[in-house]
Amino acid sequence: MTIRKRIIIAALIQALLICIICFFAYISFKAVLTKLRTIEVIDDLNISLLEMRKAEKNYFLYKDLGELKELIKLGQERSDLLRSAGGYVAPGLHGWTKKNYEILLGTLNKYLDLARQVVNTRQAPPHLEEELRNLGHELTTFSEMLLRKERENVNVIINQNILRLIGSLAGILLIQLVLWQYFFRFIIQEIGIMERMIKMVSEGRLHEVAGKSISPHNEIEIAIKAISDMARMLEKREEELLQTGKLASLGVLISGVAHELGNPLNNISLIAQTYGSLFDLLGDEDKKTYMGDVYVQSERIKKIVENLLDFSRQKKQELREQQISDIVMRSIGLVGNHLKISKVKHHVSVAENLPPVFVDASQIEQVLINLFINAIQAMPQGGDLFIDVFEEPGNGLVVMKIRDTGTGIKKEVLPFIFDPFFTTKSTKGTGLGLSVSYGIIRQHQGEISVESAEGQGTTFTVKIPSMKKDQGDD
Amino acid sequence: MAQKILVIDDEKIVCDMAKKILENEGYEVETFMNSQMALERIRQQRFDLVITDLKMENVSGMDILREVNKLYPQTKVIMLTAYATLDATIEAIRERIYDFFPKPVKIEELKNSVKKALGS
Repeated sequence: MTIRKRIIIAALIQALLICIICFFAYISFKAVLTKLRTIEVIDDLNISLLEMRKAEKNYFLYKDLGELKELIKLGQERSDLLRSAGGYVAPGLHGWTKKNYEILLGTLNKYLDLARQVVNTRQAPPHLEEELRNLGHELTTFSEMLLRKERENVNVIINQNILRLIGSLAGILLIQLVLWQYFFRFIIQEIGIMERMIKMVSEGRLHEVAGKSISPHNEIEIAIKAISDMARMLEKREEELLQTGKLASLGVLISGVAHELGNPLNNISLIAQTYGSLFDLLGDEDKKTYMGDVYVQSERIKKIVENLLDFSRQKKQELREQQISDIVMRSIGLVGNHLKISKVKHHVSVAENLPPVFVDASQIEQVLINLFINAIQAMPQGGDLFIDVFEEPGNGLVVMKIRDTGTGIKKEVLPFIFDPFFTTKSTKGTGLGLSVSYGIIRQHQGEISVESAEGQGTTFTVKIPSMKKDQGDD
Repeated sequence: MAQKILVIDDEKIVCDMAKKILENEGYEVETFMNSQMALERIRQQRFDLVITDLKMENVSGMDILREVNKLYPQTKVIMLTAYATLDATIEAIRERIYDFFPKPVKIEELKNSVKKALGS
């Protein structure tokens, strides 16, 4: 579901809740209003009743029928008023109110009828008068009781309303919580996923991000997919950059390799010429040896060409268990002739019993060759290249230290040497070598660092986690 | 007495073939794959001709050339190389190189050059 839809639905549900609460509040207030009116009517009735009783008392004291007529007149007025107020007084919330109202009205009318009888008979029998007095008393008591009851009712209703209001608010909060669970927690979770992906991209772990393929259902998932696509594109670009960096190294390597080919070619040529010119003098054994030599030399050429081709090929990253010493030796092999031509002596020291590493061998080779070429170029008059491979004690990192005795790197350019397209070799450099190396090592969860002083040579340190470390982590 | 030729090349086959061919021409041939050892040999023994590779570990063909010129100005030096830059060639000419052969070497040309160098 899209976030837009979720928000609209959540808002609609909340609006509906508020409407329901308003409706109940309206009904409650209306009930209170009715009760208050009822109280008002009964209160008025009470006052009139008191006057009526006063008239009744006067009648009994002075036997003045005028007083009774006054009573009847007042009573009739009240009765009419009560009847007209019945519309809103009667249908109260509490069932007994209607009954009480009818009793009240009935008793009042009965009382008035009795008073009328007394007036009409002129000389009323004492039992009639007694009945009138009792009924008057009953009416007053009932009315007062009613008033008290209604007042209590108002209190009850107001208290109930307060409770109901608090209950409704609690309900809204509860429903908010449910809405949160169903509508917004997903959004937060997805934003969390997005955050982790962005972090991975920034750490260069593009492959993990690019691998995620999702079909987006909402805006955040669309964003997540965009990040994933971006990572895929970046990965592709990085692969291309890797290849470009490799081709740049290859350009430097190739002259060395071409010369390396020169020797076996020369050997074959010499053997062939000797074979031809001394054919009659050579014994069968000699001839056999010569042909064997030709074969060995052609194998040598094949190997050189294969190594070069293998290095230049664009490959998908393939992580495998590798011995770091093999990789180092292969890399030195590829630059071997270049070292010789450049009068650079190499001194390799590889510690024994190194733990295996889980790497893409050709990528690590690319890094090493790049570092070797840089070192050779830093020693135009020749020099020494020290390659030390050892395990850092305690943390399971395999360390390769590549130290040259060359010109060193100027302090002010040192912070930029891993930046893409930064080069100190003007048009001869692409500025890709070290930045690509940096990317490769970071993808292997390793680190690459440099120490250099002008005129005193440069040391590159490459650290890669060994499989021992990985197992330790798990 | 046969004329003495010293051949220095870190490729065994170059040494072997040169020895075979030149001995067949009637010269006395010594070969060294290790240029350092060759340099020491030069200091002990005078050769009539030295054929050396240019690029070698430790001691280069140019070092050999300089040593020969210093010790035996009469001895001629022929240089073989798979790696003939203009700079290296000019430097070699300045050091009085007798002849210069790019690899792969043509044996007939080398034989002729040796003959001319040794005046036979």
